[in-house]
Amino acid sequence: MNQDHMLICARGLVRRFHSGQEEVAALNGVDLDLPKGAFSVLAGRSGSGKTTLLNILGTLDMPDAGTLSISGRDVLTFSAAERADFRLYRMGFIFQAYNLIRVLSARENVAYVLQLRGVPKAERLRRADAWLAEVGLAGLETRRPDQLSGGQQQRVAVARALASEPDIVLADEPTANLDSHSGESLMHLMRELNGKRGVTFLIASHDPVAMDAARELVMMEDGRIVERIGQ
Amino acid sequence: MKHLSVYLRLGLRNLWLHPARTGLTVLALAIGIAALTFLTAMNDGWMQNIRENFVLTEVGHLQVHARGFEQSHSIRDHIRDPRPLLQRLTGMQGVRAVTTRIRVSGLASAAGANAGVLVSGVDIERERQVSRLSTFVGQGRWFVAGEERAVILGDVLAERLEVGPGDKVVLMAASPGGDIMSEVFRVRGLIHSGVMDIDNLMALVPIASARRWLALDEGAVTDIVIRARAFADVNPLQRALRTEWDGQGLEVLRWMDIDPMAEQWARFADAYTWIVLAVVILVVLAEVLNTMLMSMHDRIREFGLMSALGTAGSEVFAMVMWETVILVCLGGVLGFALGGWLSVYYGQHGLDLSRFATAFSFMYMSPVVYPLLTLEGCARILGAAVVGAMIAGLYPAWKASRLEPAVAMREV
Repeated sequence: MNQDHMLICARGLVRRFHSGQEEVAALNGVDLDLPKGAFSVLAGRSGSGKTTLLNILGTLDMPDAGTLSISGRDVLTFSAAERADFRLYRMGFIFQAYNLIRVLSARENVAYVLQLRGVPKAERLRRADAWLAEVGLAGLETRRPDQLSGGQQQRVAVARALASEPDIVLADEPTANLDSHSGESLMHLMRELNGKRGVTFLIASHDPVAMDAARELVMMEDGRIVERIGQ
Repeated sequence: MKHLSVYLRLGLRNLWLHPARTGLTVLALAIGIAALTFLTAMNDGWMQNIRENFVLTEVGHLQVHARGFEQSHSIRDHIRDPRPLLQRLTGMQGVRAVTTRIRVSGLASAAGANAGVLVSGVDIERERQVSRLSTFVGQGRWFVAGEERAVILGDVLAERLEVGPGDKVVLMAASPGGDIMSEVFRVRGLIHSGVMDIDNLMALVPIASARRWLALDEGAVTDIVIRARAFADVNPLQRALRTEWDGQGLEVLRWMDIDPMAEQWARFADAYTWIVLAVVILVVLAEVLNTMLMSMHDRIREFGLMSALGTAGSEVFAMVMWETVILVCLGGVLGFALGGWLSVYYGQHGLDLSRFATAFSFMYMSPVVYPLLTLEGCARILGAAVVGAMIAGLYPAWKASRLEPAVAMREV
């Protein structure tokens, strides 16, 4: 595959953690190319390295070895402030839990990233409301996270991730805390946004619902990518 | 500042998220700041009271002597003709009133006993405008115009001499020529000031009688005593007079130059103020640090999330610092309001400490203290509170700003 068209290009990523005297390799030489517009699910058992890989691809963590280029930028040379800036302008995140800032309303949570980017108030509120409507939460804009169900909170996170029009959305076990109906609904929504708007998604999950929705499955085992299905 | 509104909103809402914790911290801060505001006002009022008592009891704001008199206390070092000096002082900016004195150490003898005395020949009219000596007369009366060979004694001195109003006392002292001069005076009154030096040693006589008794030239004085309009006028007046009278063999001394104790009191007050400020900083620091560390511990994942979303470390730092500032502002406003109200109330009505403080009148302390809330005092407390808050906020803010998002998001 031509690397010029790749959104993510990772080579030989290694990440080790220390557990007491013992050193554990969470990633053991991962190579991954991900094209723009992908809807891929990183699958594998717990401890296979999905979240570690996602954190490194999201510049939330640094590898011990390897190279990583995102949108043509060598992000491993960035300072902490540059990485924060890169995440702000290029990436959207959906986490398993504690996704939202609990003292902000749904609208303010979506608008938060836009505010950091300096979008004028009227514009960011308009865009926040539009994205909340897009994910099916019209009318719930002023609710705080504790006034929303788990599924609704994840939808707010999706709206926030997409409101800033990132190059890629990284989602870590987004359906883990949801019932099967809410999980299916969330995956359907993300798949629809991928198809309709061309947003790139990389999702770490071992939930069959997520795997069913994937256009590509990236199978991980013991810190390595062992198979790619449906590429 | 960038994103200030979002920091303030987040700060306020995070504090509101735990109303009991925030309320207790704000209350503790408010009580601490109120107590310290009131204590500072008490200290300022107390020191103002001591300074005023010290200056108005006898010393005056400034004194002019012949050079060397303050050191020698010898009547040989006197001002022969004070008239041009008095003329210059009359109407001078910052001068409220002026009087002259003749001071000499001597011996008082009565039928039953002898005692050392500090004799002060006073201008009986001008003295009333400069000092409170005339108001201290308990038994008997102050001098009347034209009165000769009259003396007013400190009450303890009179007791020692076993005399009272109407009795005779012989005063002896050396003249400028070194001769021992004695004169009979009749006691007209006794004074009680509460100041040991005055009550135990002082003998006041009319200045004209003192001149004749001590064979001084007409008009000669040892002291020109100046009452300034305000304490703030003292230093400018001293500078102006020293410049103007340079080379005339005079010394111009401020109240604090005359009595080292007064200077020590001022230094003590300064030290006390710094101790108060240190306590403010410690109280604020402990309260705020405790709350902010608890808050940070609760919100590690939230900071991780913010960081993951692209919030820079410096912005997380600013966010926590603003939260600290809000907390201290709430406590500070309440504390200042309460402390200010107490200070103003007791500033008007006085705080009667006579049960505890009468024994300290020798140090010019009045038993009723009137707290004085000055702008400078408020600024000191406010500055200390802000410094304390900043120091207390720095550590949690620094910790929050340094969190690795991936690690923080894993925290339970």
